[in-house]
Amino acid sequence: MGMLEIRNVDKVYRSRGKPPVHAVRALDMEVGKGEIVALLGSSGCGKTSTLRMVAGFESVTSGEIALGARQIHDLPPARRKVAMAFEGYSLYPPLTVRENIAFALKAQQLTHSEVSRRVDAIARLVEIEDTLDKYPRSISGGQQQRVSLARALVRDADLYLLDEPMGQLEPQLRAVLRGRIKGLLAERGMTAIFVTHDQTEASALADRIAVMEDGVLQQFASEKELKSRPANLFVASFIGEPPMNLLETEVTAGDGGFQLSVGSDITFHIPGGTLDQHARRTLEQNKRVRVGIRPQKVAVGTGDVQVRVTSNQWLGDQSHVAGECAGNLLIAVAASRIAARPGDVIPFALEPRHLHIFGADGVCIRHAEVV
Amino acid sequence: MARLDINAVGKSFGPVRCADGLSFAVEPGEIVAVFGPSGSGKTMLLRMIAGMYEPDEGDILVGGQSIVGAPPERRGVGMAFQNFALFPHMTARNNIASGLRARAGNEDVASRVKSISKLLKIEHVLGHMPRELSNGQKQRTALARALIGNPDVLLLDDPLRNVDAKLRYEMRLELPSLLRRSSAAVLYVTQDYREAMAIADRIAVLVGGRLVQLARPEEVYARPASVAVARLFGDPSINLAEVEPQVGQGGLSADVAGTRVRLDSGDRTGAQGPCWLGVRPDDLVVTRNAGDDAIPARVVAITPMHERAVLLLRFADGSEWLAALAPDAPVASADDDVFVRFAPESALLFDRATGLRVGQPDRRQAA
Amino acid sequence: MDHSSLAGRIFRGVALALVLVFFMFPIVWIFLMSFQSNEQILRIPPHILFEPTLTNYQALISGQLRTTAGNLEISFMRNLVNSFVLSSAAVIMALLLGVPAAYAFARFKFRLGESIAFTLLSFRFAPPLLVLLPLSLYYQQLGLSDTYFGIVWVYQLIALPLILWIVRGYFEDISPDIEHAYRLAGHTWREAFTRIAVPLAGPGIAAAGLLSFIFCWNNFVFALILASADKQPVTVGALAFVTASGIQYGQIAAAIVLSVTPTLLLALYAQRYLVEGLSLGAVKG
Repeated sequence: MGMLEIRNVDKVYRSRGKPPVHAVRALDMEVGKGEIVALLGSSGCGKTSTLRMVAGFESVTSGEIALGARQIHDLPPARRKVAMAFEGYSLYPPLTVRENIAFALKAQQLTHSEVSRRVDAIARLVEIEDTLDKYPRSISGGQQQRVSLARALVRDADLYLLDEPMGQLEPQLRAVLRGRIKGLLAERGMTAIFVTHDQTEASALADRIAVMEDGVLQQFASEKELKSRPANLFVASFIGEPPMNLLETEVTAGDGGFQLSVGSDITFHIPGGTLDQHARRTLEQNKRVRVGIRPQKVAVGTGDVQVRVTSNQWLGDQSHVAGECAGNLLIAVAASRIAARPGDVIPFALEPRHLHIFGADGVCIRHAEVV
Repeated sequence: MARLDINAVGKSFGPVRCADGLSFAVEPGEIVAVFGPSGSGKTMLLRMIAGMYEPDEGDILVGGQSIVGAPPERRGVGMAFQNFALFPHMTARNNIASGLRARAGNEDVASRVKSISKLLKIEHVLGHMPRELSNGQKQRTALARALIGNPDVLLLDDPLRNVDAKLRYEMRLELPSLLRRSSAAVLYVTQDYREAMAIADRIAVLVGGRLVQLARPEEVYARPASVAVARLFGDPSINLAEVEPQVGQGGLSADVAGTRVRLDSGDRTGAQGPCWLGVRPDDLVVTRNAGDDAIPARVVAITPMHERAVLLLRFADGSEWLAALAPDAPVASADDDVFVRFAPESALLFDRATGLRVGQPDRRQAA
Repeated sequence: MDHSSLAGRIFRGVALALVLVFFMFPIVWIFLMSFQSNEQILRIPPHILFEPTLTNYQALISGQLRTTAGNLEISFMRNLVNSFVLSSAAVIMALLLGVPAAYAFARFKFRLGESIAFTLLSFRFAPPLLVLLPLSLYYQQLGLSDTYFGIVWVYQLIALPLILWIVRGYFEDISPDIEHAYRLAGHTWREAFTRIAVPLAGPGIAAAGLLSFIFCWNNFVFALILASADKQPVTVGALAFVTASGIQYGQIAAAIVLSVTPTLLLALYAQRYLVEGLSLGAVKG
């Protein structure tokens, strides 16, 4: 049994004079003890509503939420044993940073020295020791966000809820803090759910990522799995940076398999043996299917797909080359600098084994081969 | 088409110096990214060029003519704002056309609005009010409005800030050719170093109102002028350690977290004495084998990032470094004891007193 | 959250009803009184049921007030017209002066700016009687007393601060970048003001105008001291019903109903504007 169980939860917002908004639909999720889970999606996908229902700031319209075998969806927030860091920080303005963090420990009846020991430790972790005696309004937004994080993490709680925990952090600090917070959560076996719209943050921190769109959980899996085995077109194109190249192809059977082609410029041969029965049937029944290939899997300088380069950008540690072929934009990521200027025609290699194939309903029927 | 010259521009707000002796030029058709941490005076520079503020000292010239003191509407400057700043009571079409009506009269307004909106792929929303547009469409409308008047100088104030990641990436690919088409002198303010590197011909790095480096993107990345610049470029950002390199047998070396590491490479003039050692996370090699120049460390956590594994490493002295490993590199797991090494030519040294880079490692540019 | 119990909901309903009755009762009672004769009104105990009469309204509209002591000329309708003229003129004047001033206070930082703005607001704090005596003296010197212009001018004390402070807030809510963008598109600041700032603050300007109209309409003291009978608004005109032969409650009630109706309608209308506020879709918060 999971630490947190969300069972068939729906959230509908009704306001007078407007059609009801179905923010979360039939959500089923289970988070194990000590697991770090990201709720990832674009704005309005239902991720924040979900977090707020777990925290108790929103009621569930239907369904159940249980935390460590306790039903919590009817309890007021204070009795749920959850700690939360808010996106807007919500620091108490009349208290110093130290008092803000210590405030979260009030209910726990700790000795004075124990409180200051914990506050100091967490302050060191998020690098706000210098600001402990300042007031929230006199520190920068990034520092305020770190205080808000510290105030949540310093508590003893069954579940830690973090709403966009690192959106405002100074870019130079972000990578280190991610590492430290992940280390802290793992060391103490803390269970955490955080909401983010930034997939870099989600993949950096989370053990598993719940991708949401339109109030529906699209896929709940590890970052690796989301990238190598996306459940559908939405996840495939949403996860990964740069986004997956998508092509509309024409299907013809033959040669003991299928030919997927874009005009006469690109042709993939998919051996029948690499497909399961459902995939074969789908390809037999459809004239056209969408295929996707990650930019990292497109090799530049070899191969038989001729593209006209539209942009070639070196980002210090990798090149992003965009090229046009038969009206499609293809993006390739290479680890080294590529000598090509806009307008040049160069070859790209798109190997059939790297293709994800999607059925008409958007569900992925064949994933790329995993090395 | 005219060149933009910024000559010794200075500006203070009370005790805050937000521009200090800024001097550089932008050629017509050139894109210069103005990059720096928040509060470094990027936006203020743009606003002085646009005429919302006047510089305390120095001069701003467009095509050799000073524009200081001229009202904004007569400067020949177009601008796209971070918050879009569309006119909420006008349709997208009228928003875009507002620039033309004042200058060109009414004849070819419709055809020009049409061609610019086709270029920016917003033809289908021209009749919409701004509140009916997505953020991406708003930003494209704002860009169209800035571009349509064919300004001599085009100012873009972090235009992709409020656009979602996917659209931002698309725009990053599209913008350079779009901006070059207008042959304006373009200043592009951004807080994202990747955006700056992707879009700009040259990058002007501002720190505390001063221009600390102005160079081509790959130059800024490979040879940052100072430790502050080095920290701004790269994600995860560059690892730093306080070192005091000494010349001994086998050349220059230094103590890094208790381990003697060779740094001899290329020109290391002035690299003796208190320095910052800077090594980019992607230049670190993490192995399980001890050996020369290998610093023992413990893996605190692994945070995957952009197809790479980022390892938070803690050295014996408590200091922390990050290593970004290629996807095919054998990855350690949390709490493992490992050894870290880096090639001497990947080490950058900065004077600890001034922060400026000293010497020049012999680093062959990646092919 | 709707975690409240049935008892809670009942309690809330009862409390709401009590408050409603407390505040609505006088209005309903006045409304009923306006359809009763003085005798009916003065009955003890009062009756809920009565035979409605329109004599009060007839008297007001015809201007003939019949009392036991004889016929009395009253000019209620003229007062009503005066109220309209005075309040409208005062609001128009306050808008012409106040909207540009509000814009200046919202957009430009200048020396003593805050002090001036606050001084203007402080006119609303001072008891009107304090300023009235000196005012009436030099109004007489200037020949302004008992002129429409004089009263409209003194009404600026009511309307101007209101418009200034409400509209200023609305202007401050408009991102200055929107105006900057308009100017960079080749327009002068005057055009930016009239085509961007004023339309965008429109709901605020309308709300402030309507509110100050209501405040001007309801003003009593200024007009009482500075206006003679033919320029008096309804608030002062109502005094005429306190006659030698007694107080004409019925007519007073009818006069109140007639004079309150326009402001009540306006208030209901303005409320929508006030709540609506500005929803600027073009600026990201």
